[in-house]
Amino acid sequence: MPASSSLLAAPVVLGSRTAPSRVLFGPHETNLGRDRGLSDRHVGYYRERALGGCGVIVTETASVDDSDWPYERAPLAADCGPGWRAVVEACAPTLVLASLGHSGGQGSSAYSQRALWAPSAVADAVSRELPQVMGAAEIACVVEGFAAAARLAMASGCAGVEVEAGHASLLRQFLSGVTNQRGDAYGQDRTILLREVLAAVRAALGDGILALRLSCDELAPWAGVTPEHAVELVPTFDADLLTVVRAGPYAGSAYRPDSHWPEGFNRDLCATIKTVARCPVVLQGSVVSAAFALDALADGVCDLVEMTRAQIAEPMLVEKMRTGQAPRPCVLCNQACRVRDARNPLVSCIGEPRSGHETTDPTPQREGGRPPVLVVGGGPAGLECARVLALRGHAVELREATGQLGGAVVDAALGTGRARLTDLTDWLIGECERLGVVVQLDAPVTANDLDGYDGQVVLATGSRPRELAFGAVDAREALRGGLPQGAVVVHDPVGGPVGVSVAEKLAGEGREVRIVTGDPVAGTLLSMTGDLADCNTRLQRLGVPRELKSLLRRVSGGTALLEDVWTGEQREVPADVVVDCGHRLPLEDLYVTGTPRAGDCVAPRTILEAILEGRRRAHDV
Amino acid sequence: MSRFTHLFTPLRIGPLTVSNRVVFSAHLTNFAAGGMPTEQHAAYYAARAAGGAGLIITEEHSTHVTDWPYEKLIHGFDPKVIPGYRRITEAVHAHGVPILAQLNHNGGQASSMFSRLPVWGPSPVPDPLFREVPKAVELHEIRSIVDGYALVAEHCLQGGFDGVELQCSHSSIVRGFLSPATNTRTDLYGGSLANRARLLLEIVGAVRAVLGPDKALGVRLCGDELIEGGTRIDEAVEVAKLCEATGQVDYINTSIGVATATLYMIEASMQVPPGYAMFIPTAIREAVSIPVVGVGRFKDPLQAERALRAGQADLIGVVRGQIADPDFVRKARAGAAGDIRTCLSCNQECVGRMGLNRWLGCIENPRTGREAISLPLPRRRSQRVYVVGGGPAGLQAAVTAAERGHHVTLFERSERLGGQVPVAASVPSRAEFLDITRNLVAAAQRVGVDTKTSTEVSEQFLLAERPDVVVVATGAVPNRPWWAGDLARVVDVRDVLEGRAAPHGDVLVVDELGFHQATSVSELLADRGCDVEVATPGMVVGQDLGITLDLETWNVKASARGIRQTTDVVPMGAATKGDRVTVSLQHHPTGTDVTRTVDWVVCAVQQRADDALFHALADAPFPVHRVGDCVAPRRAHAAVIEGHRVAVGL
Repeated sequence: MPASSSLLAAPVVLGSRTAPSRVLFGPHETNLGRDRGLSDRHVGYYRERALGGCGVIVTETASVDDSDWPYERAPLAADCGPGWRAVVEACAPTLVLASLGHSGGQGSSAYSQRALWAPSAVADAVSRELPQVMGAAEIACVVEGFAAAARLAMASGCAGVEVEAGHASLLRQFLSGVTNQRGDAYGQDRTILLREVLAAVRAALGDGILALRLSCDELAPWAGVTPEHAVELVPTFDADLLTVVRAGPYAGSAYRPDSHWPEGFNRDLCATIKTVARCPVVLQGSVVSAAFALDALADGVCDLVEMTRAQIAEPMLVEKMRTGQAPRPCVLCNQACRVRDARNPLVSCIGEPRSGHETTDPTPQREGGRPPVLVVGGGPAGLECARVLALRGHAVELREATGQLGGAVVDAALGTGRARLTDLTDWLIGECERLGVVVQLDAPVTANDLDGYDGQVVLATGSRPRELAFGAVDAREALRGGLPQGAVVVHDPVGGPVGVSVAEKLAGEGREVRIVTGDPVAGTLLSMTGDLADCNTRLQRLGVPRELKSLLRRVSGGTALLEDVWTGEQREVPADVVVDCGHRLPLEDLYVTGTPRAGDCVAPRTILEAILEGRRRAHDV
Repeated sequence: MSRFTHLFTPLRIGPLTVSNRVVFSAHLTNFAAGGMPTEQHAAYYAARAAGGAGLIITEEHSTHVTDWPYEKLIHGFDPKVIPGYRRITEAVHAHGVPILAQLNHNGGQASSMFSRLPVWGPSPVPDPLFREVPKAVELHEIRSIVDGYALVAEHCLQGGFDGVELQCSHSSIVRGFLSPATNTRTDLYGGSLANRARLLLEIVGAVRAVLGPDKALGVRLCGDELIEGGTRIDEAVEVAKLCEATGQVDYINTSIGVATATLYMIEASMQVPPGYAMFIPTAIREAVSIPVVGVGRFKDPLQAERALRAGQADLIGVVRGQIADPDFVRKARAGAAGDIRTCLSCNQECVGRMGLNRWLGCIENPRTGREAISLPLPRRRSQRVYVVGGGPAGLQAAVTAAERGHHVTLFERSERLGGQVPVAASVPSRAEFLDITRNLVAAAQRVGVDTKTSTEVSEQFLLAERPDVVVVATGAVPNRPWWAGDLARVVDVRDVLEGRAAPHGDVLVVDELGFHQATSVSELLADRGCDVEVATPGMVVGQDLGITLDLETWNVKASARGIRQTTDVVPMGAATKGDRVTVSLQHHPTGTDVTRTVDWVVCAVQQRADDALFHALADAPFPVHRVGDCVAPRRAHAAVIEGHRVAVGL
C-alpha cells in the first residue's frame, strides 16, 4: 500500500463497528428504485462501490412517513426492508447506514397529492408551494416514523442509520429561523424536534450507529443556521458520526455544486465543527481527489471523507488508491449524476456510463487471440474505445489527426469553470499509455488509407462546425483565443454549458459581450447540473447582458438585429463579432456504410455519449 | 338528441362503422409502466367507451428501440405488450366501441436519456426542445423504421385493435421527413414533396400489408407546423391526397403545430379561441373523399355539431372534454348536454402533467387517471354531513358525499358559491375557469345537496346541530406582506378583482406566485389604462404558465399592452411619497437596490389559511375534516381532490 493513501484506505472504528476505510459514499438520488423500495439496480450500484473498498455506504434517503414523497422514485422507509437487507448482504464488510429523512416543505405534493408538512406557512423558495403547518399529531407522526424506520433498518441488518438534517430536510426547516416561525415550544427552541428524533432513533438502534447529516451553514445568515450557531449546537446533539454539509432554502444547489466551486469547499466549515464535535466528523462537498482527502485527514479537518461523486466516476476508488493506480477522475460536471428531475433519469457518469447500469452493462473481459484494431480519432470516444479494446486484449493503434489528444474536450475545458474536463481525457490518455495502445499524433487518416487496410477500424473522428451565418466564429475557435476586436455577441441556441462559459471567459478578459438566447433564461439546460440560477447570477454580476427570448436575425455594420421569439419585436445591439455556440455537424469523411463509429462523428453530442459509444464499439469488435 | 343530428349520424371509416362522430383521439397519459400498457390504460379507455365515444385512438406506441423520448412510453415494438393490448381492447369492445392504436417514432423530437442510443432523424437538425443532434438515418435504418411500424401493426392485430393510426403530425419522424425545416437530405428521401413523403408512403404500404382489408388505417397529418420553413396547409393537403391515392388509407386525422416548438397551439389553453385549427380539416376535406377528423378545443357537443354541419370535418376529436367528463357523448345523446362537466381548457392537470412525467389527471375530475382504482364503499350510509364553505373544496366534498348517499348541507357565508374561482375568472381571458364551479354547482343541485348561501356558520352552531360529520372548507384570506406596512395603496390581487381597490396610473404588480394571479391582474389593469410593471423574485414572470402553455400568449399580450416584466427582484420595503408609493427592490443576483415610485402596488403573494373554525372544533364530539385552502392555500386541483378524498372516506 502506498504510504500516502494508507490513512484513507485504513479501517476506522465507528461505535461498535469497524468500517474498512475512511471513505464514505453519501446518500443521493439515483432513480434506481422500483415503486418506493430499493431495487436490484441499487444493490448492483452499491455493491460495486463496496467491492472498490468504500468504508461506509449511506443508502438513498428513505422517507420516514408517507406524508413525504419528494420525487417519484423516492424510497419509503416502510418499503425498504428487503432492499436494505440485500444491500447489506451485497456490501459486507462495508458498513451500510440507512439514510432516513423527511423533506417537509421542500418535497413535492405531485405524487402524494397531499399538502406538504412544514414548521410554518412559508412557501418553498424553489417550488413556491405553501405547506400545511404541522400540529402535534403530525410532529408525533414524524418522530415515530424516524424510530420505526430505524428499527426496520436494524432488523434488516444495517450497521445503523443516518438522520437527514441537511439542505432539503424537515429537520433543518425546524432548526432554521427562515422556515420555523412557530410560536410554540418547537419555535421557541428550534432544536427540539431534532433532539426528539435523535432520542427516538437512539432508543430504536440498540448498538447501531447513529449518524447525523447536518447543514451547518444554510447560507442565509439573516435568519438561518450559521457556522456560529452550528458550533454551539453540534456538541449538544447525540450522534456517533457527523457529516458536515451546507445549504438550505435558497441555495439548494450549493450542497453539491459543479466545478464552479472549488474542491472541498466545506473544508474550513468542517474544520471549525470538528473542534467542537464529540464524535467522528465527515468532510463533504466536492472532494474528488485522494490528495485533497488525505490532506484534510492529515490536518485533522475530519475523520472520514465523503467522496460520493468520485465513487460514481470510479467505483474502485479506494482499491485503486490502495494499489497505486490512477482512479478515473470525477470532473464535477454534474451532467449525469444529479438526477432530481421529473423525467427520472438514472444516475450515471459521463466518464463511467456503467454507473447506474451495473446490472445490464458489461465489463471488459480479457481474452487472447483478439484481432488488432485501428481507432481513428483521439477524442473521448476514440480514447475510451482504445482503452477498452486494450483491456479486452486487442492490440490497438490510435491515430489522431492533430498534434494533441482529447478532441473537443480540450477546447471545452478552456471555458470558464470547466478546466477540470481535461482531467478525464488526461486519465484516458494515461490509461491508453499504460495498456500499450500505440498512439500516433499528427497522423490524419484518409479514405485511401482505409481502403488498403484489412483490419478492424473504429471511427471516432468528431465533428465540424455547421455553416455559420453572420461571419460568426465557432465556439471552439473562440475558446482558443484570438477573437477579433469589438463588441461580442455570444449566440447560444443550445443553452448548455458551452455558451455560458464562453460568455464568462470573454467577459473575464474584459471584452464587451452579451449572450443571445431564444429561452427565457440563459443556460436553460443547466437545470440538470444545478448551475442554472448560479450561471445567470454570474453573468449578471459580470455585466453580461442576457438577450433573452431573442432570435439573432442579422448582423451588419457593428450591430445585431434581435427579434423577440414570441412577439416579433425587433431591436439592435452592438455586435462586431458573433460567436456561435450552436450545434455542430458530424465529420463523416471516412465513413462508409457499416463502419463502426462512435461519438460526435455519429451525431455531435456530449462526452457522455462519446464515451458510451466508444466503449460499446470496443465491446462489439 | 335531435339537436345533434350530425353528431349522432353513424359513419363508415373503411372497414369500421362508428355510431357517432366523437373521437377520443390520441394523447399521452403516462400510464405505462416499464414500457408496458397497464390496467389503468384499460380502465381509462373503457370509461370513455362506456360514456359513448364513437371511436377511441390510444396514445402512441413506439415502433422502434431508438425511440424513447419520455419515460412512460409504450414500447409497442416489444411483443410483451400484446397481453396488455388485449386487456385494453376487450375492455373497450365490451361497450361496442372500436379502438385504434396510434403508432409512432418520435424521430429527432427525442432524447437519448432513456434509450442510451443516438436519436434518429432525417438530418442532423437538432430539435428545438430536446436540442440533441440526431443521427441522419441511413437507408438500412429507414428500412428498419418501416419494419418497426409493420411489426407493431402485427402486435396490434394480435392485441385485438380495430386498426391503427400513424402519427405523422406533431412529434414524429414521419413529420421530420415531411417537413422542409427538418429534412435537408439530398437522396430519394429529401427534396421534392414526393421524396419527403416517401417514408410515409412506405410505412402505409407496409402497415396495410400487415393489417389486411378488415382493419382501419388512418394517417394523422400536421396542417401547419407554425415554425419557420415548416409545412403549411397547401403541402399538408397534397400529402393527404397522396395518402388517399394509395387506396390504403381509410381516414385522415389532423393537428396543428410541432410538439417540441409550438405545443401551446396543439393543446391550446383557454387563451386561444375554440375551433382555431378547423381550417386544416376544412381544406383537406375539400381535397379528399375519405373521412377527415378535426380537433382543437371542442368543449361541448353543440360546438362539434356546428362544425360537422358546416362541413369542416367528418369527425371531431374531443380529448380534454372526455378527460373531464367520460360521459360527454352519453349525456349529449340523452338530451342532458347541460350535465356535462365541461373542460376548462386550463391545462393544469392534463397537459401540465405530461411534460412533468406524471400521470394524466384533471383539475375538476378527481377520478381521471385513477379509473383502475375502485372507490371503497361508504363506511356508514346516510350520514348527516355539514360542509362549511362553498369553494371548490367544499363543493366537491358535498357533491361526492351526496353521490355516495349522504345527506349533505353546504353552508357558504357569501351570497355566491365558488370561493375564489369566480374572482379568478372575472378577468376576461380567464372566464372559462368559471366552469369548474358552474359544473360543481350544477352537480350539487342534481345530487340534492342542501345549499345555504349567505350563511355564516359558527362553532356554537355546529356543536348545537351535532351533525354526524363536519367538513371545513373555509378557504384562505389575503396575507399582507411584511414589507407593505399599512400603506393603503399596497393591495392584494383579490382586493382588485373583488372590487375593493381600483388602482390607476402607474402600477407595480409583485408576483411571488408565478401563476395566473399576477399576469391576470396585470392584463386587467393594463386594459383599464394603467401603466403596469410586473416584478418577481423568480427568473421568469409567470413561470408556471409554462406548464399550462400560457407563457407564450401571456408574453404576447403583455407586449401588446406595454406591460414591463422585471425578474430577480425582492421587495425590501415601501413608503408613502405624496399620493404615491415608493417600493425598494433588491436585485438579488447583484445585490443592487432599485426603487419604483408608483400610484399603486398590487401583491400576488401567498395567502393565509382561514383555519379558525377548524381549530375551534378541535374537541367537537363529531369527526371534523378540513379540505382545500384552509389546510394550506394552494391551487384549485388540490381543493377538488381533497374534497373528494375526504368525502370518499366518510
